This record gives sequence, C-alpha cells and structure tokens, in this order.
Amino acid sequence: MHQARWIDFYRTMTRIRAFERTAREVYTAGKLPGFLHLSIGQEAISTGACAALRADDYMASTHRGHGDTIAKGVSIEGAMAELFGRVTGSCRAKGGSMHIADFSQGILGANGIIAAGVPIAVGAALSSKLRKTDQVALAFFGDGATGSGPLHEGMNMSMLWQLPMIFVRQNNRYAESTPLVEHTGIVDVVQWACGYGMPGIRVDGNDVVEVYDTVNTAVERARMGGGPTFIDCETYRHYGHNIGDPGTARPKDEVEAWKARDPLERHRERILENHIATEAELDTIDAEEQARMDAAVAAAEAAPKPELHEALEGLYVDEQLGKQALQGVRQ
Amino acid sequence: MSALPQTAGREITFRDAIRDALFEELGRDPSVFLIGEDLRDPWGGAYKTTVNISAVYGNDRVINTPIAEESIVGAALGAALSGLRPVAELQYLDFVMRAMDAVVNQVAKVRYMSGGQAKVPLVIRAQGGGGRSSAAQHGNSLESWLCHVPGLFIAHPSTPYDAKGLLKTAIRLDDPVFFIEHKMLYMNKGYVPDGDYTIPFGVADIKRRGTDVTIVANSRMVLYALEAAELLAAEGISAEVIDPRTLVPLDEATILESVAKTNRLVVVNEGVERCGWAAEVAAMVQKRAFSDLDAPIERVCTRNVPLPFQPDLENYVLPSVPDIVTAAKTALYFN
Ligand SMILES: Cc1ncc(C[n+]2csc(CCOP(=O)(O)OP(=O)(O)O)c2C)c(N)n1
Ligand SMILES: [Mg+2]
Repeated sequence: MHQARWIDFYRTMTRIRAFERTAREVYTAGKLPGFLHLSIGQEAISTGACAALRADDYMASTHRGHGDTIAKGVSIEGAMAELFGRVTGSCRAKGGSMHIADFSQGILGANGIIAAGVPIAVGAALSSKLRKTDQVALAFFGDGATGSGPLHEGMNMSMLWQLPMIFVRQNNRYAESTPLVEHTGIVDVVQWACGYGMPGIRVDGNDVVEVYDTVNTAVERARMGGGPTFIDCETYRHYGHNIGDPGTARPKDEVEAWKARDPLERHRERILENHIATEAELDTIDAEEQARMDAAVAAAEAAPKPELHEALEGLYVDEQLGKQALQGVRQ
Repeated sequence: MSALPQTAGREITFRDAIRDALFEELGRDPSVFLIGEDLRDPWGGAYKTTVNISAVYGNDRVINTPIAEESIVGAALGAALSGLRPVAELQYLDFVMRAMDAVVNQVAKVRYMSGGQAKVPLVIRAQGGGGRSSAAQHGNSLESWLCHVPGLFIAHPSTPYDAKGLLKTAIRLDDPVFFIEHKMLYMNKGYVPDGDYTIPFGVADIKRRGTDVTIVANSRMVLYALEAAELLAAEGISAEVIDPRTLVPLDEATILESVAKTNRLVVVNEGVERCGWAAEVAAMVQKRAFSDLDAPIERVCTRNVPLPFQPDLENYVLPSVPDIVTAAKTALYFN
C-alpha cells in the first residue's frame, strides 16, 4: 500500500545513519566539543514515527535526539553546525548535540534531562486541543525514562484529558549501563499503559514499516479525538551510551545478535526483495546522503564561531528588561 | 598548601579519593550503603567514583536505581530514618532539580519539623560545574541554591585530600550533607595519607599565604585562585587564598582574620553571580569587618546566563583566572 514511502523511509534512515557516522568520525578526530549520544541502530523508530506526523505536529525528543530531530525535519546543515559549535547551528551554538531544536518544524527539542520532553509534549497536545486544531504531539523517551515520574504523570494527564498524544518508547534495553531488568519492575510495560487506560502496543522497533503503521494508527486516532496511545519499540543501540563509552558494558553476543537485526539493512533487503528499487538506486541514495553530510561538515567548519557577546544575548525576549536582568559586576 | 599529616601517603586522583572514602566507610560501618543510578560494577558510576565497590561489597550495599531522582533522595531519607546511613548519588548536580522537594522539604526539614525526633545521617553526592561544553543542563553550579536551605551542610572540596577527609566526615555525621564534586577535578592528583583520617566541617584551609589581598574561593575556583595568586606574585602582589571547604557551616573566623591582615577581599564562586554564595560571603565580611576593608569587595562569578554549549562562549561566561587577577588588582586600586 504505502510501498511508495518505503524509499522515503530508506532515505531518512540512511540520512540519520550518515549524519551520526559522520558526527562520530569528526568527534573522534577531536573536532566536536561536549557530549555525543548516537542512535545508530535505532533509526527505524525515529523514521517510522515521524513519518506518521505532519509538519505541524509536535515532537519532543531526548538526549539521544539526532535521529528524531532529523526525521522530524531539522536542517542537516543546521544540526551539523550546531555540533561544531558554529553560529550557523540550529541553536546558534548555544545548545549542542543534546539540545537540537527547530520549533518551525514542530521540534520541541532534544533534551538533556530524562523524560523532561514528555510533559512538554503533553502540553503541546493540550494546546492543540484547546486551540481546536487537529495537531498531535509525540514524545520519544527511553526505557530508562519509563521509570521516571514525568512519564507517568504525562500518561495519566493525557488520558484524563483525552489528549492527542503518542508516547513512543525507544526501548534499547539499557539506561546508561543499567539493563532493563535492573531498572524496571515488569518486562512488559505495555501493561502500565493499559493500566492508565490507554492502548499499549509493543512493536519491533527495528522494523520501520511496523513502527510507521502502528504510530500512524495512533496518530489517526488521536487526530479524531480518540486520546493517547503508548507504543513500546524494541531496539538496540550499536554503540555505547555516549561517545566516551566503549560499549563494553553489554554482552558481546547480545550486541552482535542485535547488529544482525540492523533496521537499515533489513529495510534495504525488503525493498530489494519486493523489487521496489534496485541495488543501484539504493546505492545512489547512500552516496547522496553521505555527500550531503560531507558538505554539511565542510560548511560547518567554514562557518564562524559565535562572537563572545552572543553569550549574553537571547535569554529574554524583552531586550531592555533582559539587559537589566543580566547586569552583574563582570559586565 | 596547609600542613598535612606527617604520615606516609601517596598521590591519588580526586576520583580515587572519593572512591576510597566510600569504599573504606562501607567497610567500617555495615549500615552505610550507596544508592543511585549506574553505580554498580563494572560501570562504577557516571564518573567512575564507585568502581570496584559493588564487586567487593555486593549489590545489597550498592543499589542501582531507576532514573528517579526524587525517589532516590526520598528513599535514602526513609532509609536514614530507619537505621541506615545512605550515601545517595545524583550523577549530575543539575539533576537535583528533579529531587528538590525531597532535598528541601523533606531531608533538610524533617528533624526540625519533628521537634528534634529524627536523625538524618544522609549524604547526597553530585557532580557539578562547567568547563566541558556540557551546556545548560549538565554544567550548573548550584551550591548557592543549596546553601539557601536551612538544615543541610554543604561540602565542596577542591583537592583529593580534602575530598576524602570531608566525605568520611560527611558519612559519619548524623545530619544531612550535600557533597558536591566538580567534574573538572576528578582527574587531578594530590597527596592523600595512608589510613583513616577525617576533616572537620566548618574549618577553612588557607591554601596559600599572602598579605596584600584575600581571595576566598571554593571547589575548582580554588585552583583558579591559586593560579591567579601565582600571576599576581609575579607582579609583586601577595595574595592569600582561602578554601572554606564547607560552605555550610562557613569558617567565618579564618576569612575575617585574613581580611584584617590584607584589608582587601575577592570572592570567587562558579555559580551564577546573582544571589550567589559570593554575595553571602561579601555581606558577612562587610558587616563584621567593615572597618578592616580598604576597598569594595570584589566578586568573580558566572555571568547571569545559562551555560552556553560553544566552548569559547562557555569560557567567557564562567569565571577565569584573568578575571580573578583583574578583581584582585581592582581591590588594590591597580586598575
Ligand atoms: C533526570 C536525569 N537523570 C539522569 C540523567 C543521566 N542520564 C542520561 S542518559 C541516561 C540513561 C537514559 O536511559 P534511557 O531512557 O533508556 O535512554 P537511552 O540512553 O537508552 O537512549 C541517564 C541516567 C539525566 N540526563 N537526567
Ligand atoms: Mg535505553
């Protein structure tokens, strides 16, 4: 049915992977400051879920937010420049990897604080209900975040108020070093969602089509006033928790088994098996996306860093009061 | 540096000083246990301060939790009220904001509110501070917020020696202690004596003697102040650097004695300037020693903005060594 979109899915997943592989390379070469949490291996969730959203729908992401924000439409050039700390970055170098945001695309932000995006998305869903639009809001969060208060408060609130909300759990089985069974009381948290009264569905998070179909159904329901849905997507990150983590906290055979279920390769195979595109056509997409990343890196490297005075700008809307508020002995 | 014990010792990192204090206290007192995110081996904590502890003492003494800061502190309080001596870890100090009710309304007040019935032998550890481009949500210095809470003691060490001795004291105290470790100090090495020692709370350490200007600083800013003192010395200015080591209680006497000698004061704190700890110290000194002062008190703090990601901007916003040098010279009317 929507096989025409499979190519789009492939391109988006390829784009995310190319972005993060490139980011990893330049980070390793010492060119990026700060944190870097890679979502390589989890692209099907970002891609499938955001493909079910309209441009004017809202999305809140996490510390591992490159894939989510790219899938929702952040500019690649802006995101890359942000990692480099350049003034052309999507947040003018104020945010960095963990805070990529583009409100014009409905991206309410990646977030450095676990589960903090959930209530924000719930608020956007409340707002679209109050404003009587048919926009929906989607929150991504990890398996670790599922043990955090804001997620539970958000589930209850969105059920109570029947909000157009989609909860998408990126269940990569670990929170930093801590495995699922050591941070969550039950394995099947879909039962929690059902306990809150909303539909809960568990999907293969490494199958972009299954993610898309499930989120799409939830979005359609939400748009028609049917309330929230919780979707638990099973996946795995190929690399460590962040760039500084060699990833050795997880059993080697487990890592290998999950790498063999790589969402991008699986989708590629499916496209080929169904004769939707040829190998050469997919290779072209790969090359185009990588070329785009190389260009984004070159552009970021050529772009200026922000000037120091910018550190003291952009905190308040009201310029005069803001200036007054910033006064200090070191001005 | 101040007088150190004359026992044998060795150079260890700040991180190992913390880790060793935890390890030794777990061995000394069976009611001590650790609770927080990702503490167990082989990971050993987000900043590796609990490495090789659960492997030795087992998972009942080192509890890995869900990502639930309010409940980490709340549960630690419950354990403290029922016979144990928890050491809770919040990873980044920034995450204390998730636990603020537990810290402020519960931990800090329960003894007082209950008319002195309760004892809260609880330590809350967190890693704070900027300097690593970790941006606005992972680099906060919130010690001033915590100083504002009656009922907490606040330790904020600058050296491995102080860190180990203060952490041991914190664990042995029957009152709640917020213990802050600066992320940029973990790899610094310093002398630590072999065997058990503690450092009393409320006793400052004079990290460098001087006669012309007093610089009071805490945590990483102590190292900045020492660098500034070195630069000032090259210009013939003798700076005294005081590290209070605990912000609450504060060793006012040592600061006042120094100001009586130098008549000039610079206070350095990495927290945002407005309503910060430096203002508190300045207010205390101007009240108690107004006639000793020959110049307005200088403050060097973080500018009144969130921490920006980009490294140059971050450095611009945070206090720097040249900022301290400038402030000292201003206090000496050199500028
Ligand atoms: C409130 C809060 N507590 C702790 C952290 C530190 N932290 C960052 S990522 C992480 C693990 C998150 O696990 P999960 O939700 O499964 O997401 P994943 O990293 O697996 O994508 C932790 C504990 C944080 N950023 N915010
Ligand atoms: Mg996870």
